[in-house]
Amino acid sequence: MLTLILKRILMALPVLFLVATLSFCLIRVVPGGPFDADKNLPDEIVANLKAKYNLDKPLPEQYVLYMQRLGRGDLGVSYKYVSRTVNDILLDAFPVSLVLGGLALALAVLVGVPLGAVAALGRGRWQDTLAMFLSTFGISVPGFVIGALFIYVFGIQLRILPVGLWESPWHMILPAITLAFSPAAYLARLTRASALEIVQKDWVRTAQAKGLSGSATVLKHIMRNSLVPVITVLGPLTAILITGSFVVEYIYAIPGMGRFFITAVMNRDYDLILGTTLIFAVLLIMANTFVDIAYQILDPRMRISD
Amino acid sequence: MLPLPYIYLLQIAIKIRTPLISRRFFSIFLVLVCTASMLTGCGQGRARYTPDTLRVNIGNEPPGLDWHTATDSTSFDVVSNIMVGLTQYTPDVKCKPSCAKSWDISPDGRTYTFHLRDDVKWSDGKPVTAYDFEYAWTRLLSPETAASYAFFLYDVENAKEWNAGKLKDAARLGIKAVDAQTFRVTLKKPAAYFIYLTAFCASFPMRRDVVQKYGNRWTEAGNMVTNGPFTLQKWQHEYKIELAANPDFFEGAPGVKLIRMFMVPEQSTAFALYENDELDFIDNRSFATPDVERYRESPEYKNFPLLRESYLAFNVKKKPFDNVLVRRAFAMAIDKNVFPKILRRGERPADSFIPPALAGSAKDSGMPFDPDLAKRVLAQAGYKTGAEVPAIDLLYPNREDVRLIVEATQDQLKRNLGVRVNLVNQEWKVYLATVRKDAPPLFRNSWGADFPDPETFMNLFTSYNGNNDTKWSSPAYDALIETAEAERDPVKRADMYRRADRIMCREACAIVPAFLATQNIMVKPWVKGIAMNPLDLQFFKTVTVK
Repeated sequence: MLTLILKRILMALPVLFLVATLSFCLIRVVPGGPFDADKNLPDEIVANLKAKYNLDKPLPEQYVLYMQRLGRGDLGVSYKYVSRTVNDILLDAFPVSLVLGGLALALAVLVGVPLGAVAALGRGRWQDTLAMFLSTFGISVPGFVIGALFIYVFGIQLRILPVGLWESPWHMILPAITLAFSPAAYLARLTRASALEIVQKDWVRTAQAKGLSGSATVLKHIMRNSLVPVITVLGPLTAILITGSFVVEYIYAIPGMGRFFITAVMNRDYDLILGTTLIFAVLLIMANTFVDIAYQILDPRMRISD
Repeated sequence: MLPLPYIYLLQIAIKIRTPLISRRFFSIFLVLVCTASMLTGCGQGRARYTPDTLRVNIGNEPPGLDWHTATDSTSFDVVSNIMVGLTQYTPDVKCKPSCAKSWDISPDGRTYTFHLRDDVKWSDGKPVTAYDFEYAWTRLLSPETAASYAFFLYDVENAKEWNAGKLKDAARLGIKAVDAQTFRVTLKKPAAYFIYLTAFCASFPMRRDVVQKYGNRWTEAGNMVTNGPFTLQKWQHEYKIELAANPDFFEGAPGVKLIRMFMVPEQSTAFALYENDELDFIDNRSFATPDVERYRESPEYKNFPLLRESYLAFNVKKKPFDNVLVRRAFAMAIDKNVFPKILRRGERPADSFIPPALAGSAKDSGMPFDPDLAKRVLAQAGYKTGAEVPAIDLLYPNREDVRLIVEATQDQLKRNLGVRVNLVNQEWKVYLATVRKDAPPLFRNSWGADFPDPETFMNLFTSYNGNNDTKWSSPAYDALIETAEAERDPVKRADMYRRADRIMCREACAIVPAFLATQNIMVKPWVKGIAMNPLDLQFFKTVTVK
């Protein structure tokens, strides 16, 4: 286990280096710069701005400077939010996204996995039809529609939940459900497909033949084994959910970091784009490492390959 | 009381009980949901507002509260309520004394001497002096500050040279604190509009000791020292700002004790918050067009024009618009009355580039709508029919309201002139870069006033202005603007701008003025004293919530 973690950390470094380098190059290829605005600034002022942020230096030098700062854990400064550093911005926003994403993830797993299991166990019956109808609905209807619908029904018509803002635990309910909707639906389909495959295995029949009770077969043999593909997608899903969602944060006015993935690009806020990308990469690598550990716990066969 | 939909949901849930979920689990779930509903249900009985607290939506995080590096209206909306400068704008955008009780202008119009009041205090109790202005203006112009709005003070002697780093000695700037109560500014040439600049955020005073003590973090709550009606109490980034009343403000304490400025980016959410009494005042940032329609007749709704004009611009160096006749034909084929009808936010069609609220505006400065004459003028230019004109690309930034405008323009040019127009859209920053570098033959643009004077609009089309993307230049126009800048007789000055507007919009027809944008606001009945102005600056010191 320890070697696996060490190995992953060593592998992560070149990956992060590559991500940083590629992102650095890509954002500078895009036309338009951070200081373009509808009111064109005099050349003298643009020169001052570029000098302040080292953008007047040749690109290779900018790259070296950036990498040196990165090595010190400094993600740079924002050109848009003038007096704030990227570290400040992400430190303020990430905890909010983490709470919301964590809630949504828990909700998605707690709803999606049982729903898929129910559908698989009642295959072809009404439970299956209903569960699959719900999950198709969840996958097809985008978050901004569900969010708007929730705001309208629970916030405006029934007035039982706040329509937005981030003031109390009550304010977390609608956004967490909105964010969990599509992953829950996806997990339900995945669990169903995987469980259907497992149900037909010989060892399930063996378990039943040796007289194991219905619920023990389901929990210990079918569910445990059908969770492997679910765990696989949970890695990237965790990274996506805890770094926030632009749509959900936008419609519920939540101060998370999901919005920066979009607005930083629109503002050509170079360091902030790189900062968000790197944080996402780090979280993705971490989540995938956890997935690998989970595999080993769930399926003893995988321990041999390590 | 449990609402009906909940009961239905629970009934369904109980029926589809699965082998994995026990009946007991469901009973617990049921109890939890009931408790939750009752707790939130209690919220319905809450007061609709808190007296002396104003809740508004500013839409987004202000990019910065340092008024030297801020460039956007969100930041200025906050700064305008925590700071005052030498002068202040009145609701009808005139200038009245503020930190300066009076000022003298030298006979040559180049030297302004401001006499400061002695009772204006910073929020930490220290007096506001001329030295704070001297420091602030020097800092704004310093190359290290890299302030976007440094050009605002380029009329000050040696300001541009010092800002460009060509001049190293700050003592040679035309900025001088003669003593604590006297601030003297020397301009490089007379500028009749200069006094307006002293009411704008970029020219506010600043405290050297505070900036030096906290560095980049001096604008955070707790560090910031200000002199206006409110002080910064709390700044929860990307979420909300709280301003507390400054009881020692020299004009007297403001009408409310607390302003909570939320940053709700999504219009429909902000509007729902307003409808649910969670916001007391909203403006365009919280208004989707269908909401304007729904509330047009409501006493809570108001609409007024801003000093922001949209226009269509020609690149006069590109065919076929290198021919003034073609430009005139295009201008006459566009009925501007269509724009308000499709945008439906109360926009005002524009006849001239100078908005009606400013001196020099005239109804006949632009081209009239006359499709028949347009066709004849196009024929004079050598195109017997519109179909002979090669298809024109019309560039616009990727925004919903702008798309509606350019589609209407495309339709009008096709219908009234028979010309084919291709719409080309680009992402905002790509669009800006394209227009700067090599503007296409036809593009849509807009301009908002920096200060309430025709100069802010008319200087835009001088040959030396960096924002003149039409490539049109006229020595006569340039000369007229330069004379008008120095002219101190308001009547003569207005006449010069009127002539310049006519040269640009009618004779040379470099642009086609389209419409003036408007501000739409909703105010709850318990809020009184909202004072709006066409510069779109929001001052909340006169507001009361009772």
